[in-house]
Amino acid sequence: MKIVVPVKQVAALDEEFELLDDGSGVDPDFLEWDLNEWDTFSMEAALQIRENADGDGHEVVVVTVGDEEAEEGLLSCLAKGADRALRIWDESLQGADVLAVAKVLAAAVERESPDLVLCGVQSSDAVYGATGVALAGYLDLPHVAVVKGLDYDAAQATATVERELEGGLVEVLRVEAPALLTIQTGINEPRYATLRAIKQAREKPLQVSDLADLGLEEDAVGQAAGSRAVALKPPEPGEGAEMLNGSPAAVAARIVEIVQERMSG
Amino acid sequence: MARDPKYDILFEPIQIGPKTLKNRFYQVPHCIGAGSEKPGMQAHHRGMKAEGGWGACCTEYCSIHPESDDTSRVSARIWDDGDVRNLAAMTDRLHQFGALAGIELWYGGPHAPCMESRATPRGPSQIASDFELNIFPRYMDKDDIEVVQQMYVDAAIRAREAGFDIVYVYGAHAYLPFQFLSPFYNRRTDEYGGSFENRARFWRESLYKVREAVGDDCAIASRFAVDHLLGPISIQVGEDGVRFVEYCDDLVDLWDLTVGDIAEWGQNAGPSRFFEENHEKPFTGQVKAGNHTNKPVVGVGRVTNPDTMVAIIKSGQFDIIGAARPSISDPFLPKKIEEGRPEDIRECIGCNQCISRWEIGGPPMVCTQNATAGEEYRRGWHPEKFHPAANREKSVLVIGAGPAGMECAMVLGKRQMSAVHLVEAEKEIGGCVNWISQLGHSDGKENLFRGSARGLGEWKRIVNYRQIQLDKLKNVEVHIGSRLSTEQVLEYGAEIVIVATGCHFATDGMNAATHAPIPGADASLDWQLTPDQVVSEAKRVGQRVVVLENEAYFMGVSVAQKLAGEGHDVTLLTQAAEIANYMDYTLEAPMLHRDLDRLGVHIHTYTMVDKIEPGLVHAYDVWNPAHQEQFEVDTVVLCTARISDDQLYRELKADKDRLESEGIEGLYVIGDASAPRMIVDSIFDGHRLAREIDSPHPEMPLPFIRERRLWGEVSNDDYVQQLRNTADVALA
Ligand SMILES: Cc1cc2nc3c(=O)[nH]c(=O)nc-3n(C[C@H](O)[C@H](O)[C@H](O)COP(=O)(O)O)c2cc1C
Ligand code: SF4
Repeated sequence: MKIVVPVKQVAALDEEFELLDDGSGVDPDFLEWDLNEWDTFSMEAALQIRENADGDGHEVVVVTVGDEEAEEGLLSCLAKGADRALRIWDESLQGADVLAVAKVLAAAVERESPDLVLCGVQSSDAVYGATGVALAGYLDLPHVAVVKGLDYDAAQATATVERELEGGLVEVLRVEAPALLTIQTGINEPRYATLRAIKQAREKPLQVSDLADLGLEEDAVGQAAGSRAVALKPPEPGEGAEMLNGSPAAVAARIVEIVQERMSG
Repeated sequence: MARDPKYDILFEPIQIGPKTLKNRFYQVPHCIGAGSEKPGMQAHHRGMKAEGGWGACCTEYCSIHPESDDTSRVSARIWDDGDVRNLAAMTDRLHQFGALAGIELWYGGPHAPCMESRATPRGPSQIASDFELNIFPRYMDKDDIEVVQQMYVDAAIRAREAGFDIVYVYGAHAYLPFQFLSPFYNRRTDEYGGSFENRARFWRESLYKVREAVGDDCAIASRFAVDHLLGPISIQVGEDGVRFVEYCDDLVDLWDLTVGDIAEWGQNAGPSRFFEENHEKPFTGQVKAGNHTNKPVVGVGRVTNPDTMVAIIKSGQFDIIGAARPSISDPFLPKKIEEGRPEDIRECIGCNQCISRWEIGGPPMVCTQNATAGEEYRRGWHPEKFHPAANREKSVLVIGAGPAGMECAMVLGKRQMSAVHLVEAEKEIGGCVNWISQLGHSDGKENLFRGSARGLGEWKRIVNYRQIQLDKLKNVEVHIGSRLSTEQVLEYGAEIVIVATGCHFATDGMNAATHAPIPGADASLDWQLTPDQVVSEAKRVGQRVVVLENEAYFMGVSVAQKLAGEGHDVTLLTQAAEIANYMDYTLEAPMLHRDLDRLGVHIHTYTMVDKIEPGLVHAYDVWNPAHQEQFEVDTVVLCTARISDDQLYRELKADKDRLESEGIEGLYVIGDASAPRMIVDSIFDGHRLAREIDSPHPEMPLPFIRERRLWGEVSNDDYVQQLRNTADVALA
């Protein structure tokens, strides 16, 4: 059995940050890189399925589209227990959108012919929530999005999954592998890697490929692109916000005042 | 990053007499255990604050003459040229960083027992000290008054020579000038007693003479308790309090205002357990609010929050933010505001451990939050600067994120170890602080004297500060909810393993008094509890409760407060002369006793438990075991011994071969897991190990500089002569 877990190294903002002069993005000096939170849950789900499966020869493969910055995220997945990693990068992928990334991932995943593809629901920096679903589209795989519970029966090659609907209703679905699931946070408790595992991760296979290696042409990827970011801007300050400063007692007193004003008004 | 403009006001300069204070941050006088006899500690402790941005730093109370000798409590002294030389080390260091140096000239009267000098203190009337045991002053006639005033003048001249910018005539905490002012001490019928003007005369004359002597070169300050908190028998702010400020306003360049006296100085250095930030405002705030002065005013109140500071200045409460404890806990508080990182401020938790060492008399000051306090010189520790460890390529596993473990991991991170993993079994970091910080409340109606039983919530700052720092350290990973077995630790892959797994309460009554378990004590029964079980409300508590308080600090009494507050009938037993002995040293005792009394808690001292039976506790008088007493109970709380949780450490240590084959080069145990202790000492232990992780034997503390005279360094005769010379100058 093989599970592919596509992951993303995301940018987190420092508390204070500046935008690039041309407004197209955040000045990289103010960014911190980390593995996307959702992907730690999809990774854990994959590892648990592998551990629960009978017999040997099961494999968890982690893939990402990203520059060298993204290698740290792959290493952390290898340290937690992924068997091997694949990083795909090409200068032409700078600024690629969801569809372009999904297209590249599709080429890589196709070569692996996995039983399951487990994605995170979304990435915390771009927040499209579309990569997994688009990938399923390109691969023509059945998919279930926003999975909150997962039970995989390797013998039957079927996954029983739960989704949470409005009013807390739980929808239970059964899908046959191969399939793609996008995993929601909270589905499990992601493990952490010991120092030894972190050291040993460097010995595990980590392959770097470019588009040509995957048999893709720059143009084909470019055509997949649907949008390109043109500007990032801070929100306009709204009206009516009052910052409460001072000691806890002073803040509390002011809150009481405000509540009383509103209640009497 | 630049500072937030809302804090600009805190960085405005203030003129005090002939001197300019560069900003509004002012370290008021406080003891550290250095005095004039540990000049290195004195210079480097104050110097650290100057480096951290404080505009002025003062000495502790500084005796002007051997007649004011507080031994074994450590004051500074400016008795002779030797003291001038030693204190000049402090002023030099402050001036290097652009800070002003203040000296608090002190004559204690009967509060100073003169146990080293064997001198006889003088006082306005012959009434024994309400602070010291059985110390009577000699009545001061007019000659005596002149002699003592001359002592102030001579000391002020020496202070100027030592390089001090601000010279105090210290009258707060009910020392001599206040003893003249207050009818509680002053029963004179001459022109120094009776009317307000007469009572104020001594202080006014002293200020006048000091000002005449050094006022052109030094700013003249006075520390004054605007209210003695004793009601009409002494100084009250609305009466003589503000009157005195007006009366002497022309003679000072700076007022340093406080409340209370030395006998209950927890009303000034208020513990967080009972007092909130800026708690002196109702008293000291009246001086400027009522326009009673034209001079700058500095005041205190454990102010750690920059927003509170701004509010204090903007509201006109004070002109200058005074701080003792906030500056001990974070010598870099002003710098952190200036650099736009107020979240890095290590806020004082108000535990008063710092004060406890002064109260004990002798030991150097310590601080729970700041393990480097007092260690600046002798160990060379800087609170904000960390040398990269020589063995920083090593990776470290710290097991247990209580006070010792958090501190150790944080400091190792700051020392740039390649990787530090802090692994905690529980769902959050903090260890014992998480439940201890829930203690200290009673019934929520506590309106005590002044302040209330607010509880130990601010102790949680121990965790908050470290959490923020750990989050910022890229080389540190914190993992919670993970209880590691011995095998997992061996296989973890760390080269250095540090065990910080804490301790637990004995369940069988094992205790320090009898060195044995108590027959019948068994906290596995549903009617006997350890203190942590009380907090976690693990068991139902019956109506009649006996708490055996065998710990001598806050635990037993806190449990008693909580249970009595919930309506139980609580009896506290202790083998000692007093319950919660150590809380005398932390100044928490007076307010605590008020609360226990209000709650109707029965206290039996010198009482030890013999055996426990269902429904009955058998106790005896420790001086006469035949004198037995029985207490009917529904529930017993065993606040007895604590026992290290050190199985993990012991198992690891026993397997030398495995340690070696797994590549574990260093194995250490810290904090309560090593030996149960107070939080202040656990944090120190974790800090110390991390600071010395690259020493030849990290488990053994490196020697520290001991400031003492080395016999024969110069010839002993020369040395004796040197001492004589400096003293002769003083006597001449
Ligand atoms: C360890 C310690 C020692 C102190 N020693 C003195 C002293 O020598 N003279 C004095 O006037 N006040 C002394 N104080 C009182 C402080 O100056 C201050 O008034 C009090 O601590 C309240 O301020 P804070 O809340 O900023 O700590 C001391 C306080 C502490 C914490
Ligand atoms: S010992 Fe406690 S009260 Fe004193 S400065 Fe440190 S944290 Fe504050």
